[in-house]
Amino acid sequence: MNKRTILLVDDEPHVIRVLRLMLEREGYEVASANDGAEALEKMHARRPDVMVSDIQMAGMDGRELCRTARERYPDERFPIFVMTSMTASSEREWVRDLPDVDFLEKPLSPRQLIVRLATHFANAATQQENTHAA
Amino acid sequence: MKNNRIGLILVGSMLAVIALVVTLLLQRQQTEHAEQVRAQGLGMVRSLAALPVPVLVPGKGVPGVLDSILAYRDNPDFAYAAVSLDNGRNLAEVVSAGTIVPPSAPLALTGFAERAIPSSQNGRAIREFHGPLASADEKMQVRIGYFEPRTPFNMKDLPFYALIALAMFLLVPLIYVVIKREMAPLAALGEQLRTAAAGQTVPAMVPDADADVRGLAHKLNRYLDQASARIRELEQESVASMASGRLLEYGSNKMQAVLQCLPDGLLVLDPAGEVTFATGKIEPLLGVPVTEVLSQPVEAWCRDPELRAMLARFRSAGLDARSQMTIEFNPARVPDKRLWATAQALTGHAMAYGTLVVLRDATREHLARQAGNDFVAHVAHELKSPLNVIGMYGEMLADDDVDAAVRVEAINVIQDEVERMTSLVNNLLNVSKLEMGSMRPERHRVKLDDLLRDAWQQARSRAESRGIRLDLQVARDLAAVSVDKDLLRIALNNLLNNAIKYNQAGGSVVLAAEEGDADVVIAVRDSGIGMTPEDREHVTEKFFRVRESGSEQRGGHGLGLYLTNQIVELHHGRLTIDSELGHGSVFSIHLKKMPALVEGGQVL
Repeated sequence: MNKRTILLVDDEPHVIRVLRLMLEREGYEVASANDGAEALEKMHARRPDVMVSDIQMAGMDGRELCRTARERYPDERFPIFVMTSMTASSEREWVRDLPDVDFLEKPLSPRQLIVRLATHFANAATQQENTHAA
Repeated sequence: MKNNRIGLILVGSMLAVIALVVTLLLQRQQTEHAEQVRAQGLGMVRSLAALPVPVLVPGKGVPGVLDSILAYRDNPDFAYAAVSLDNGRNLAEVVSAGTIVPPSAPLALTGFAERAIPSSQNGRAIREFHGPLASADEKMQVRIGYFEPRTPFNMKDLPFYALIALAMFLLVPLIYVVIKREMAPLAALGEQLRTAAAGQTVPAMVPDADADVRGLAHKLNRYLDQASARIRELEQESVASMASGRLLEYGSNKMQAVLQCLPDGLLVLDPAGEVTFATGKIEPLLGVPVTEVLSQPVEAWCRDPELRAMLARFRSAGLDARSQMTIEFNPARVPDKRLWATAQALTGHAMAYGTLVVLRDATREHLARQAGNDFVAHVAHELKSPLNVIGMYGEMLADDDVDAAVRVEAINVIQDEVERMTSLVNNLLNVSKLEMGSMRPERHRVKLDDLLRDAWQQARSRAESRGIRLDLQVARDLAAVSVDKDLLRIALNNLLNNAIKYNQAGGSVVLAAEEGDADVVIAVRDSGIGMTPEDREHVTEKFFRVRESGSEQRGGHGLGLYLTNQIVELHHGRLTIDSELGHGSVFSIHLKKMPALVEGGQVL
């Protein structure tokens, strides 16, 4: 079985460094990008199973990256987790018409991310089994 | 002269009256005389006619009654007396000397009559009375003639006339003099009035004259006094009203000037919503010139829905007159501005007479508010990022099965991030002090080599931990400068930190100081990543950060160079930047040299 791939997008190298260390320890394959453009390149090379992205980045920011990803690959709705410190609901309006985009609170706890990812993949597995059974 | 003419007219009319009186007198005398003659004549004729003929016509040589009755009558007017036949023959006659008896005229049917005989060549005009003789058989008549009065002027009246004339003659000048005398005060009065009219002052007049004129003069004087008092009063009133008019005008002008000088735009609308007053400031604020606004309804010039809505609310009677309302909006014609519009109903005597609108440019406040918000957001982000990293590494360290190498890395990163946050907080405090104006450089005469050596020492360990060589090249006997040591230290630290931060392992940083002709140059030269000319332009702006392309995060926060530049400017120096992308940068602080010795200068 192929390893699940997580694409990390953040302009803060330390964040990527920590998350990579911890996710790799959990058995995920980790790809990383410094900004939106690089993320799209990586995405083009290989579609991730989940993308984790920061919002505030120079150049193409998190929002644009999410929209572009959904436009470019409409049939492959890999979940996207957006890391944000903006807690106001008005700051989260923009994801309303983007399917499968969710938020991760900053400061981010890597362990929390690992739990979220595990839950997601478990749910996906049950769903797949259900569809198979049906 | 008028008075003289009046005098002449008086004299003339006086003479005319005298002449008239004399004429009437003479006429009356004449008529009386004629009546007298008629009575006498007729009486005489009647009495003679009653006498028998022989008595009237005696024989020759015998004196007749006629002679005896009439011959000696002492009447100067008597002309003749005759007894005549109808055929004209005179039977007897008595004639005054020098007179010829005129031929008789046939008797009239009435009998006694009179007739006038015009004067002939040798005689005077005669009035004849005649009548028939009662006793005569033949037609005989008695005739008595009287001279008509020759002239009405009687010589014996001459003294009388002369007397009257003399009296008149004496009277006329007297009257004239009297009149003249009576007129004199009036003339004086007139003259005084004339001079008074010419000059502005009205002299008090006490003419030397009789009671009437004096009374008149008094009344006139009183009237003039009153009039002049009234005139003075009016003049004072007019001066006062002119003064108050000027004051009002001045006040109004002043008020207008004040209103025009206000930074706020003012509009006054009448109850119908038309603009009755507007200051010139509305043009830069709303983008409409005053001329297009005056006497126009709001709809004609206002394109801002918010302002229109507010003014419409004020126009409608529903709103409480005392209420005030403020809105904030971007004017449609000047979209980069932000305005506050405050409307206030103008009321007085329990009725509304319009609306006052004050327009204030709130762009700066708006921008400041926005900048404040941006600043807070930015700082929060800048503080959250290292916290985020510290939290993550912390969480990782909590795991038991972490490699020793990763553990060291984590500790290093945490230390770095703490340093970054500390530097950010310090710089924030300094920037805040600087911007509040409370950062006043306390300048002293400072020997630069000590200061630079200190800074070099402090930065060296950090440089070495990153594999960067930090050198110090300071010329000996560097001239003293007048600086605030603490502030210059902050600037130097920021430059050195940047030089280390934006460098790579194996690179170098040189802290150097050289002396120029007029200034001392402190340079921080690095072999780091450098920057584009475009970035160099903006690198001293607040919160500007060079976009980093490499995978390594340098941890800048966009305040260090801003602060450095501000500090250098506080010292009246300048910061120059020389940089080439990929080849490093040189940041130079140029400070003015101090004169060799300044009195009171303190060398630290």
